[in-house]
Amino acid sequence: MMSVTKMVYPLYQLGNPQLRIFRPNWFLTLVRPGKEQPPDTVQFRIPMDMTKYDVKNYLEKIYNVPVGVIRTRIQFGSNKKRNHLNQKVKKPDYKVAYVQLAQSQTFTFPDIFPEKDRTPKEGSMEEMQEKFMEDEKQRQKPDPRRGGVTEWFGL
Amino acid sequence: MAARIRLPLLLPRSFPPLRSLKHVHTEAAVKEPQYPPIVASLTAKSKSARVRQNEERIKIISSSPVEEKLSLITRIQRMKFVVYPQTFSRNPDRWYQHFTKSAYIPGLPEKFNPAPEGSQSATDQPAVPEIDDAAFNEIRDLVTRVILYEHWHKTRKRQPFLYKHQEQVVGPFLKTLVSELTYNLAKYNPLLRLSSLDLSPQVNFYWRRGKRIIPKGHRRGRQEPIRFQIDDQPHSQIRIPQQLPQFAPLEASYTAEVPEIHLAPNVMPLFRRQYDNNIFTGAKLPDPACYGHTQFHLVPDRYHRDRLARQQHSDQVEPFLRANAAASLFAWTGAQAMYQGFWDYQDVSRPFVSQAVITDGHFFSFFCYQLNTLALSVETDANNPRKNLLWGTESLRLYEGVQDGAVVGLDDGVLRLLVQFLMNRPHS
Repeated sequence: MMSVTKMVYPLYQLGNPQLRIFRPNWFLTLVRPGKEQPPDTVQFRIPMDMTKYDVKNYLEKIYNVPVGVIRTRIQFGSNKKRNHLNQKVKKPDYKVAYVQLAQSQTFTFPDIFPEKDRTPKEGSMEEMQEKFMEDEKQRQKPDPRRGGVTEWFGL
Repeated sequence: MAARIRLPLLLPRSFPPLRSLKHVHTEAAVKEPQYPPIVASLTAKSKSARVRQNEERIKIISSSPVEEKLSLITRIQRMKFVVYPQTFSRNPDRWYQHFTKSAYIPGLPEKFNPAPEGSQSATDQPAVPEIDDAAFNEIRDLVTRVILYEHWHKTRKRQPFLYKHQEQVVGPFLKTLVSELTYNLAKYNPLLRLSSLDLSPQVNFYWRRGKRIIPKGHRRGRQEPIRFQIDDQPHSQIRIPQQLPQFAPLEASYTAEVPEIHLAPNVMPLFRRQYDNNIFTGAKLPDPACYGHTQFHLVPDRYHRDRLARQQHSDQVEPFLRANAAASLFAWTGAQAMYQGFWDYQDVSRPFVSQAVITDGHFFSFFCYQLNTLALSVETDANNPRKNLLWGTESLRLYEGVQDGAVVGLDDGVLRLLVQFLMNRPHS
């Protein structure tokens, strides 16, 4: 995401002009929380360089989201897995931000992959194929009157 | 025929009594069981053995004297959630009410409410029963003197540096106010003469509520109770040798609503540590003043309403105060109850009552707490309809400010509430 040269911000001293970023090169990712979170908490994956104050200003100024409190942590990506050449493969580290919304607003992560109704429509090829497969499976099943006993022996 | 009957070779002289019809209707002699009752094993590696071990432990604890009881309950150290009464989390009042099984009732109980206006004119009725107008004026003068004294000192001294204002300015003011008021009201309330005023006491309480399944480790998959510990340091508190009367009967708490939260406490955020489990009211067990009267709390600078207003979190001021009151008073009343020998499996037979005043110098909030149940763990809470009750007010301003050596806008209602709180005593 970031280029090789690291962005260096000028050190702030009292009296300096306030640092303003007009086109931030940061992109937040809203994720579904792995563990159950309270209804006013939203979970983001943020770039490693961002701080809590950066996230707060980002959400308030660009998206007008009333932000209460933010907590961040860095998730270590494992370096344990090895590839076919027995070299260690590192999964990248990422920073997670838990944003609690102000003004008693709530947020639930939406269902992005809803269950689709898989019945095929009438008279189509898929329906005939499904029926054929079902009949085949029925024919393969053993006789229910034998109560689970195999058909290898018998009269 | 004879060949069909098989008789023994040696016929007994008299046949055994069971076979003869003579003794059928007599009662069998009552015999003491010769073997002990069949119970689950104590040392097997089974669930019933674990259950029996717990039952034995409960029996031993229930039958021991109070000091041993406390040490047995707090003996084993394990990771527990440390609940801070003054916390930076958002909406902590709902969480703390859930942890302590307390229901919040806005307003104070009936005995502190002012008389209805229609019955008598306000000037005829004395401001507080048992205190006439002259005495109330004396108290008002006393409070103005304390405010002016502290204000003069505050302007004389150097302004305290960052985050020390409450501790260095409001702390001494509250200390003087409390000690002066207690001393002056002792002539109207004989209980205050026998009371003990502690300054910066320690109040600790340890309890268990709820269960969780251990996710990782050698104990993975097993059930574990969630443990909590409160270590509180109120600004000052008054302890008395007799118990205060209850504000509401036990049965009234059955209908109260306690917020239920099904999330783990660490999401709040709340952090776990392992150290000594302490249960302490402010004085050791043999102290005669073992019941609580009133606690006074200071709002620290980091949670002051001005700072929260600057950060646009003004709506968090009241939840913070409520959470502080719920946690501190639950810890204090719970410790008082445990000093009397009640615990999880021996629930309180009478409600324990305490009061608290939380202030930041200008704004005063009054809270009353009634502990109806100590049975908060999963096994004992299953059929427990009792709930603890917390009454509380919003923040009320005591005085507007000090101008030209005079206190401006001293609110009589707040003063009356303060005096009523200190005058609260058992009827006898």
